[in-house]
Amino acid sequence: MGIKMTRGAIAYPGTSLEFKTGSWRVERPEHRHGAAPCHTACPAGEDAQAYLALVEEGRFREAWETIVGANPLPAVTGRVCHHPCETSCNRAQYDEAIAIHDVERFLGDQALKEGWTYPVSAPPASAPQVAVVGAGPAGCSAAYHLIRHGYQARLFDALPEAGGLLRTALPSYRLPRDILDREIERLLASGIQFSPGHRLGRDFSLDELRADYRAVFLAPGTQRGVEWSIGGQTPRDLHVGLDLLKQWLSVGSIPTWRSVAIVGGGNTAVDLARVLKRVGVPEVHIITHQSIPRAETAGGPDVMPAIHREVRQGLEEGIVIHEHRGVQRLVLRGEQVIGVELVHMKKLPDATGQRRFVTFEGTESLLHVEQVIPAIGQVLDPTGLEKIANKKRFLKADAWGRISGQEGLLVGGDARGDRGTVSEAIGDGRRGVAAIHNFLQSAGELQETERVLIGYDRLNLNYYEPAPRPEAPVLPVAERTAYQEIEGGLNRRQVMGEGHRCFSCGSCLACDNCWTLCPDVAVLKTQETAADGSHYVFDYSYCKGCGICAHECPSGYIVMRDEL
Amino acid sequence: MSDEVVIPVSALRRHQPRFSGLEAGHRACLGCGEALAARLVTEAAGPDVMYANATGCLEVFTTAWPDSAWRVPWIHSLFENAAAVAAGMEAAMKAQGNPTKVIAMGGDGGTFDIGFQALSGMLERGHNVFYVCYDNEAYMNTGIQRSSSTPHAASTTTSPAGPERMGKRHLKKDIVSIVAAHHIPYAATTSVAYPSDVRKKVRRAMAIDGPTFLHIHAPCPLGWGHDGALSIEVARLAVQTGLFPVIELERGGVAGVMPIREIRPVTDYLKIQARFRHLFADDVRAREELEHLQALANHNIELYGLRGDEADALDSDGADTVRRGGMRWA
Repeated sequence: MGIKMTRGAIAYPGTSLEFKTGSWRVERPEHRHGAAPCHTACPAGEDAQAYLALVEEGRFREAWETIVGANPLPAVTGRVCHHPCETSCNRAQYDEAIAIHDVERFLGDQALKEGWTYPVSAPPASAPQVAVVGAGPAGCSAAYHLIRHGYQARLFDALPEAGGLLRTALPSYRLPRDILDREIERLLASGIQFSPGHRLGRDFSLDELRADYRAVFLAPGTQRGVEWSIGGQTPRDLHVGLDLLKQWLSVGSIPTWRSVAIVGGGNTAVDLARVLKRVGVPEVHIITHQSIPRAETAGGPDVMPAIHREVRQGLEEGIVIHEHRGVQRLVLRGEQVIGVELVHMKKLPDATGQRRFVTFEGTESLLHVEQVIPAIGQVLDPTGLEKIANKKRFLKADAWGRISGQEGLLVGGDARGDRGTVSEAIGDGRRGVAAIHNFLQSAGELQETERVLIGYDRLNLNYYEPAPRPEAPVLPVAERTAYQEIEGGLNRRQVMGEGHRCFSCGSCLACDNCWTLCPDVAVLKTQETAADGSHYVFDYSYCKGCGICAHECPSGYIVMRDEL
Repeated sequence: MSDEVVIPVSALRRHQPRFSGLEAGHRACLGCGEALAARLVTEAAGPDVMYANATGCLEVFTTAWPDSAWRVPWIHSLFENAAAVAAGMEAAMKAQGNPTKVIAMGGDGGTFDIGFQALSGMLERGHNVFYVCYDNEAYMNTGIQRSSSTPHAASTTTSPAGPERMGKRHLKKDIVSIVAAHHIPYAATTSVAYPSDVRKKVRRAMAIDGPTFLHIHAPCPLGWGHDGALSIEVARLAVQTGLFPVIELERGGVAGVMPIREIRPVTDYLKIQARFRHLFADDVRAREELEHLQALANHNIELYGLRGDEADALDSDGADTVRRGGMRWA
C-alpha cells in the first residue's frame, strides 16, 4: 500500500487498533475525586490535600489561595486550631500524620510576609447589602465570604477592634497579637465595611437591621458566664474565668493569689490556669469531672474539651489537673475561702441509659486554695435578641445557620451553643453565606458538595514509603513567658517535605501507575491537565475493564463502575 | 474554561511520551500479566529491534488475522524454534552489517520445555540475541496444562488437585540457573509488579553484545484463578514471599538481588489464587504442602540472601514507590 511508517511506527489499517476490545468490558474505570479525611474533618472546610499538593511543588501562593477559599485566617487557625485534620489523616495509621497545621501556619505567615491579598474583588455599589453582627471568627468569616460571593458586607462589633475572642480571650503565647492584627487588617481591607463600637440592642436593633439589609448573619458569641454556685454559696469576691482572662489580655494584670482552683475543663480553664501561672500564682489547680485528654482520646466523650496540646503544655508548666473530680463544698472560715471539698465523680449511664453524674462516697478530700474560679462555660447575652432568643441560652439553628421561621436571619459561632472552636466558627461563616447566597438567589435546596470519603483501606500502600514527620520547635518550659509564642513553625524545606509525604487521598498524584500498568494500552497520558484534573485519559475503545489501574492507584482516585 | 482544548483520544494515542511496540486492540484476557510484560519490554527496547516469537498466548493474542498489535518487525515460526529463528535473524543482520538487535520471546512452555533445545543451542553458539521468557507457569493458551515451570502443588488441568495428588507433584524448573550455566554474560529474573526493574534489566541486556536472558514473572488471571485486577498484587506477593526471587546472574555468578524488606508468609500469595485453593482444605497433605512451599521460599531467601538489612529504595517495598508527577517508572 506504500504506507510510510513513522519512526514510532504508528499503527495504520492492518493493526489491532481496528479491533475495539472495549466491547468486552462490563466495568469501566473512572476518575473520581474522593474526599480526603483531612478535608472531611476540617470544621472550617479546608481541603488540606489540595493545598499540600501545591506545596509539594513549591506553589505556595496558589496553596494559600486554596486555603482562603474556605478560611480567610490561616495564620490564626494554623496556631490555635486543634487540627482534627491531623487526627483523621490516613497517614497516621501508616507512620505519622502529616503536620497539616504547620503547613497551614507556614502558608499563613508567608502570605503576611509577602503581602498576598485575597483573590477577591470588592463588590460593586449595586450589590445587595448583608449585615453581620459580631466581628469574631464567625462574623469575620461570614463578612469575607459575602465579599467572595459579590455581596456588600457590613460588619458590626461592640468593641473598637475586630477579632472577637481571638483578641479578647486568646493569650498571645498561643496567638501573637501582630499575627492577629495583620490577618484581621487584610480581611477588613478586602472590601468589608466595618462599624466598630456598634452594639446590638444599644446602637441599633435587630428589626432595624432586618429592614435595612437583605439578610443578617448573627455572630454575637457568648458574652455571659453560666451561673455558678456550690450549694448556693460562692466566694465573696467571685471572679468568672473568661472575665479574668479578658481582663488580663486587655489590662495586662489580674488579681493574684497563692493558690487557685479553677473549675471547668474547657480552653478557658486551661488558658486561665496558664496565665495565672505566668503572673506568679504558685499553685494552680484545675478541677474537672472529665478526663485529661491524651492524643488518642482527645475529642472523645467524657474527655476535657480543652485542646490536647494546650493541656499537655499546661501540665508541663506545672498546672495540676484533678480529673474526674467535682467540688462538693466550699470550705469557708467566716466569709473567706480556705479550700474546697473535692469528691471523685463520673458521668455514668443510669438504668434508662441516660448519662448522669455519680459521686463516689468516701472519696472526699480537702484541697487548700485561696480562691475558686468557675470557668464552666458561657451563654448568649440576649440583649437585642430577646425576640428570637426566647430566654434560651443559645440560638438554635440548622447546619447552615438558618434560624427556623426567620427568613434571611442566620447565626454562627459560639452563640449556636453547639460549637466551641475557632475553626467551627469560621466554617459557620462560610456555610451561613452559602445559605444567604442560596436564599437571595432563590436557588432551591442547599447542598454541600459531597465527595466519597477515602478511608485507609482505599489506598494502595505498596506505593508509599515511611518517612518521619518533622517536629516544630517548642519553647522549653523555663523560657516560656506571658507573651512569647510557645510553638515555632516549620521551614520551607520541611513544609515541602510534608507535601511530599501526603498520600493525596482521593486525588490524582500523576504518578503514572495507571499509564504504566495497563496491559491494554488503554490509559493515555495528557500533556496538559485533562478535564477531570488528572493527567490521564481512559481510552474506552480498548479498555477491557480489568481493574488493574483502580487496584494499583495509590490514592483511591480510580473506581470501577458497573456498566451492565 | 475558555482555553480548554479538546484532543481526540485517537490523536492523543499518537502523542504518548513513550515508544510502544505493542498496540491496543490485542486479544489478551482482562488483567493479562504477559501482555503487560511484553508492553514494558517493547517500550524499554525501543524501535530499533526485531522480534522472533514462539507459539503461545502472546503470539496468538497479538496477531489474530488480519490484525497485528506489533509495531515492530516480528516473526512467528513454530513453538519450539524461536531461539533458532532469532539466531538466524541475527546471523543475517550480521552479514548485512546491520546493528539492529534481535529479541526472541516465548512463554514458559516455549522456553522451559518445547523450545529449550533451541534456546540452549542459541546460547551455546553465542548469538547476539536477547531472549525474553514470559513466565505464567503453565500452557495457558491451550487450556492450562502444567509445564516444567508450573510451581509445586499448583493445580492445572493436567496436574489436578484431588484424592491422589495435591496439584503438581514436581518442582518448578530453575530455568535461570540452567541458562546462566551456559556462561552467558547476563541472565536475570524480574516481575511485572516492578516495571522499573523490568525496564532496567531490558536496557542492560540490550546493551550487551552476546546472548542475554530475561525471565519475567507474569500472572495469568485465568490460569491462576484470581481477579484480573489483582495481577500486580499477585506478582508482587510472589516476590515479597521469596517464591519468585528477583536476581541477576553474570557469567553464571549472582551479580545482584532485589532484597525483600518485609518477608511475607507464602500463604499471603497462595490464598488469593484458585490454583492453590486445595492447600487451604482441612487435609493433612494440604498442611504439609503449605509447609513445603514455605520451605521452598525460605530456601530461595537463604540461597540468594534476599533478606533486606534495612529499608532500601531498590528493595521489594522501595522499588515500586511512586511520587507526584510520575516518571517514577522510568
